[in-house]
Amino acid sequence: MLEPLIQNNVVCHAVEAMAFASIACSILGVVISRMNLASIGFTMSHAAFAGASIGMFLETNAQMAAIAFSVGVAALIGPISDKAKMAADATLGVLFALCMALAIFLISYMQYLGKGLSASSLLFGDVISLYREEIYALAAVSLLTIIFVLLFYKEICAIMFNMKIAQASGMRVQVVYYILLFIIALSVALCLNIVGGLLIFVWLVTPASIASQFCFDVRSMFIVAPLVALLVSAFGVWAGFEYTLPIAPLVALLLTGTFGLAVMLSTKRKVTTRTH
Amino acid sequence: MSIIELEGIYTAYEGDDKPIIRDLTLNIGRGEYVVIGGPNSAGKTTLLESINGLVKITHGRANVCGFDVRRSGHDVRKKVGYVVQNFYFDPFTPFTTQQVVMMGRYGRLGLLKRPLEEDYKAAERAIRLVGIEDLAQKTIGTLSGGQQQKVMIAHNLAKEPEVMLLDEPFSNLDFSAREYLQAILLDLVKGGTPIVIVSHAFDGLPDIRIHLVVMNEGRITKDICCPAQAVEDIVRKSSLKQ
Ligand SMILES: Nc1ncnc2c1ncn2[C@@H]1O[C@H](COP(=O)(O)OP(=O)(O)O)[C@@H](O)[C@H]1O
Ligand SMILES: [Mg+2]
Repeated sequence: MLEPLIQNNVVCHAVEAMAFASIACSILGVVISRMNLASIGFTMSHAAFAGASIGMFLETNAQMAAIAFSVGVAALIGPISDKAKMAADATLGVLFALCMALAIFLISYMQYLGKGLSASSLLFGDVISLYREEIYALAAVSLLTIIFVLLFYKEICAIMFNMKIAQASGMRVQVVYYILLFIIALSVALCLNIVGGLLIFVWLVTPASIASQFCFDVRSMFIVAPLVALLVSAFGVWAGFEYTLPIAPLVALLLTGTFGLAVMLSTKRKVTTRTH
Repeated sequence: MSIIELEGIYTAYEGDDKPIIRDLTLNIGRGEYVVIGGPNSAGKTTLLESINGLVKITHGRANVCGFDVRRSGHDVRKKVGYVVQNFYFDPFTPFTTQQVVMMGRYGRLGLLKRPLEEDYKAAERAIRLVGIEDLAQKTIGTLSGGQQQKVMIAHNLAKEPEVMLLDEPFSNLDFSAREYLQAILLDLVKGGTPIVIVSHAFDGLPDIRIHLVVMNEGRITKDICCPAQAVEDIVRKSSLKQ
């Protein structure tokens, strides 16, 4: 899509992939970090990781398997917590451990069978060798995320404020919540190839945390978080190619650095210390 | 015509087999001022949440505002105000008082609908009624417990509910705020909106006939109409009996 602007095809695809991943993850991140859903994002990313290993093991489409598995885990979280009478966190812990165990088991077994070549791309991601279809899928999911937030903005705000109070007000928050989980699962699974199962968390959490240092209201967070993620990612991709550095970890480090800077410069902190 | 009709209901929390509320029957009509008393863990909160369908009713018949609670919980909750007992908003909650009060309108609006002029007006009216104009632009997490309580009351007033449920709404409020809230509630009752209030503070009750419901261990042990002055005595006596 950016071909007219960026001559080199590989660089162009990398920038596009990073840009779309940044938009989807950072917008979802604003909701996730406010709702204490961080562990959900964490579990889903590992579910996607486990799904992809299953896909590879069965020699089917790893991406599809990743999507199916993380959506499946997303669908299980609520019912398991209810049935087992556990805090959602404990349920997530169990699921997370299961996913990691499955993935490591299969990857080790594939190495033993001598077909473990692409497992590292699941762990660390690979922005260089993406198919055009993957980039279209990423574009679609970031568009879906934006539409979701615009369409259900008031429900999302109410959920971010307080789930119980939102329910008591008669809103159909459950529906919106399940759509949210579905989109998180989808985004996480699609981003797996780009940033990898180990780093995706940075995209989900850090841009929202950066935005929260400066923003007092949700609307601006939804704008600032993807903007920051977009800028840092684009810069990271450029720097990665320029100095031949591994791109995804570089962007992750840059985002974390930006977060540190944001904490130091935070307007919020200054305001709160002044008023107390 | 009753607005709340509960007939032999049992309710249990998700995943629990043992019902908390057992074989409970209660009727509440227009303009009633209902006080629910009883010891801790008697099931008062659970009763309120059965009325608006937040807790699952497993047996019995429940009709609120013309809707079957068991089938149309959303429709019931759109019309029933509910000031919850326990809430905590962390200091970084990114919503202002004005926004939180506005959220009271969201249920009525339904999915995909944007707030209209009348919704903003209703929110503004509720803020003025509760007297928190000065807090409107402050974020809710930075307010005191009592102020947050007032915001939650305004949130529910903005809803313009057909029934108002309040769970120990006075616990965070100082004396003048209690009197002020009682006056607001009395206005609602006079306008025909029944209010159901779980409380342990009976001294500030308005001087009207009170529909008193005393609960213990998930059942109603007393369901009578009495003058406001008699409430405290009756609750105390029926608690001693057990
Ligand atoms: N979420 C819940 N899950 C399971 N049991 C609950 C839950 N909330 C309350 N209970 C139980 O229901 C009973 C009644 O509680 P509640 O309605 O809160 O009493 P009250 O409001 O009268 O103090 C208590 O025994 C309590 O342990
Ligand atoms: Mg209670």
